[in-house]
Amino acid sequence: MCKGLFSLLILFLFYTNVQAQSEYNFSEEENINAKIADVQLNTSDGGMMLSNLYNTSPILVALVFSRCTGICSPFLLQLSDNIRTLNSKEKFKVLVVSFDPIDSLSDLEDMDNRLGLNKKGQWTFATTKQIDALNSSVGFRPIWDSLRKQFDHDALLVGINENGYIAKKLTGLRGISDLKMMIQSIHNEFIPSYPLPRKNNLLSCFTYDPATGKRKPSIGLLILVLPVVLTFGLILWLAIRSKKWRRATNNHLAD
Amino acid sequence: MNDHQFILIIFLAAFIIITAVFFLTYRSSLRPEEKSDGIKKPLQKRFYFLIALTIVLVILLSVTIPKSPYFKYSDQTPAKVVFVDAMQYYFFMSEQAIDPAKPSGADSIIIPVGQPVEFRVTSLDVNHGFGIYNSDAQLVTQTQAMPGYVNRLRWKFDTPGTYHILCLEYCGANHPNMRTSFIVK
Amino acid sequence: MSAQSLKKTTATWIIVIMTLFITAIIFGILMRLNQGNDYKMSSPGFYATMTTHGLTMIAIWSVAGMVAINYLLTRYIKVPNSLSVFALVFTVIGAAMLWYATFVGQFHAGWTFLYPLPLVKIAWAKWATPLFFFSLVVLGVGWLVWSVGLLVQILKKYSLKQAFAWQHLSKKEPEVKTPPLILISTVSLIGIILSLIVAVILLALTFAEYYSGGAFVNDSLLMKNLIYFFGHTIANESLYLGLAALYELMPEVSSRPKFKTTWYVALAWNCTMVFILTAFFHHLYMDFVQPLGLQMVGQLASYFASLPAAGVTAFSVFVLVFRNHIKWSLTNVLFFIGIMGWLIGGVGALIDATISNNVALHNTLWVPAHFHTYNAMGNVLFCLAFFYWVANEFSGSQTKTKAQQLKTALLLIGGFGFVLMFYLAGADSVPRRFSNYPAEFKSAPLMATLGAVFATIYLIAILLIFIEILRKCVKAFSAS
Repeated sequence: MCKGLFSLLILFLFYTNVQAQSEYNFSEEENINAKIADVQLNTSDGGMMLSNLYNTSPILVALVFSRCTGICSPFLLQLSDNIRTLNSKEKFKVLVVSFDPIDSLSDLEDMDNRLGLNKKGQWTFATTKQIDALNSSVGFRPIWDSLRKQFDHDALLVGINENGYIAKKLTGLRGISDLKMMIQSIHNEFIPSYPLPRKNNLLSCFTYDPATGKRKPSIGLLILVLPVVLTFGLILWLAIRSKKWRRATNNHLAD
Repeated sequence: MNDHQFILIIFLAAFIIITAVFFLTYRSSLRPEEKSDGIKKPLQKRFYFLIALTIVLVILLSVTIPKSPYFKYSDQTPAKVVFVDAMQYYFFMSEQAIDPAKPSGADSIIIPVGQPVEFRVTSLDVNHGFGIYNSDAQLVTQTQAMPGYVNRLRWKFDTPGTYHILCLEYCGANHPNMRTSFIVK
Repeated sequence: MSAQSLKKTTATWIIVIMTLFITAIIFGILMRLNQGNDYKMSSPGFYATMTTHGLTMIAIWSVAGMVAINYLLTRYIKVPNSLSVFALVFTVIGAAMLWYATFVGQFHAGWTFLYPLPLVKIAWAKWATPLFFFSLVVLGVGWLVWSVGLLVQILKKYSLKQAFAWQHLSKKEPEVKTPPLILISTVSLIGIILSLIVAVILLALTFAEYYSGGAFVNDSLLMKNLIYFFGHTIANESLYLGLAALYELMPEVSSRPKFKTTWYVALAWNCTMVFILTAFFHHLYMDFVQPLGLQMVGQLASYFASLPAAGVTAFSVFVLVFRNHIKWSLTNVLFFIGIMGWLIGGVGALIDATISNNVALHNTLWVPAHFHTYNAMGNVLFCLAFFYWVANEFSGSQTKTKAQQLKTALLLIGGFGFVLMFYLAGADSVPRRFSNYPAEFKSAPLMATLGAVFATIYLIAILLIFIEILRKCVKAFSAS
């Protein structure tokens, strides 16, 4: 039976963990603490410098393009969902910049209307003529695929603090806990350590709890507590069983 | 007097006091049998001893806990961020993020004197240590390099010079030779 | 069970333990000589020796305490001799497998085998990794059966509440009195069972990764927590087993009234059982990824674990000896020095368990300094005291020790001199686990050489004591 259970465990673990530890996506670490390029933005309020935005409050910068048939729409939708669910009291703005030179402001506004993002006025949509400078300052490298008439790119969210420095980056579609860490980071809250993005988080001890901003226990911690539970279970079982043994010993002595 | 000397003096003082108490206790037991009068009211004395010990421990706790290294310089923006990827038996250090697929580091790292800097330390294989030693071979500060996690260590170097980094977690046969250095100026 | 077979098994244990101990001390001296550039070992050879030295010492001094309580418990409860024999066989097989893995297979991941070092980029024979882990399985099975077996025997006479001495908490003179030996053995056995269950989980996760061919990868933080949960707890509990022997024997050999379980003794040992669960967090202070709360719990538990220990046990010994006429024999001298070494090591440990100091001391020679103090000058002496006492039982007389003062003097000078070299180097920032020291650590090689010299003096004392014990142990086999 033990062998069967063991192979089951292996099988279970096999399907949940399939990545070696060193293969993390390091692009999230790129350009950390570098200054974002202070480019001229074209928004519905007219022109402004990017620094005008971050000087008033920290910002999250999302890079998208309106013709995208891939990740851009789900990325923005998920971001707005997560922001709504998180309902953070911290002040910050979201800046969506198109990295496609042929996008116009109205293309972006259409996108906003379609997705229903900017209901509270927290979001700003912008195009810029200096997109290359912006891209390279945050380490974003979209590649034009002429066959599909699409950019080949990753979803990227960049957190900028009030001084214009990149505090944190998130690539791909990410959960609410990462967003919480991002918002703490752009408000210069120090987090002494963090796990690197990798698929293998099954047995980690803690995951970040967005509700409290603290790390909450996950399966790994259960494994850590398991020996205590098992030992106390064993002791209790022995204690109950031992009543019988003591009775037997006493009877034996009485005989 | 630096931290290390202070720690050693405290320890040696405790060592001498404990040895003296045991020696005197031993001496006191060499008396003739009829004179065995022991300690009066041992229970009461033990109670006072425990109370005194508790008070000392609580004071020590409240003094030392706030000095924990985790949040040093946490309210300041670091003047420089250095990425560190440890790997059997190298430290890659760079001001840019390091690609784990083809890790490489800068030839030399220069840290500004008197300004907070941050080391983002991780490992690409096994657990390593990241111990910063000054030019007098004294351990300044340290953190661990754990695969899958980044530890952020902040520090302010007030003395210019060459600092050495030694691996402080046993990582294999070549562990003592795993080292690098940076310059503070 | 016949008293004779118990004597024979105990005598065999003592000879096995002492032989392994003396060999492991020689390994230690060779390592210090290598660090002092007086003797040349290859780097993998050094670390294979270090792995063997560490695990052998941990193993023999855990079982030494078990041997002591196994013998002494027969005063209160029935103990089948088969338990001890079973553990002896498993320990010898496990140790042989371990030595084969380290010396023939060159396995050298350290006794803490910190994940993932034993599994990635291995620099030793491929078969040595599974052999090493299976040696742990064999050792673990032997000890788990033994400790659960002993606990069952205790519970056949005492209810769990009585074994924990809870009746002493409410009543001054309860109907059933729990002897301190029963109380401390129960608490320590539970701790040992707990640490072995941790080891089971740790090994299961390790094997899962090893045999999945890289498909399953563990979380480093979880594994590190598990490793120290196991390692710290078992090392700590084995010391408490030595204390159990002290509670039972020290008053007896000193012709003083027996130690009794009182409400504070009961409370102290019950508290110890709880503190031990979380003190291991102090091994992860420099892993900033460990949540802050656990780091604080680590320091708190490490601090307050010292209260019951120092406040109750050491104070009891002080009361026993102070201004009372004591007939000193090697047994109570060893117990007495052992308590002193335990306290001094405890101060070193407390300093290192303070987070703000740990940043200056973690993985420097301060760490081996403090644990060698309360092992070599604490737990080892408690167990030696028992060995010496029981050997006298075998030979039928508690005769006066030959050259007792010389032995004591050699032990004190050698033991404390040896650990002092570690402390001085640790406070001078010299890293631990360096086979050779980089040139900037100018005084480190000298300290290592001096450490080896003092360790040799300690070894001479141990050899002299062992010869005397051995001569008496042999009588356990001849007498019928």
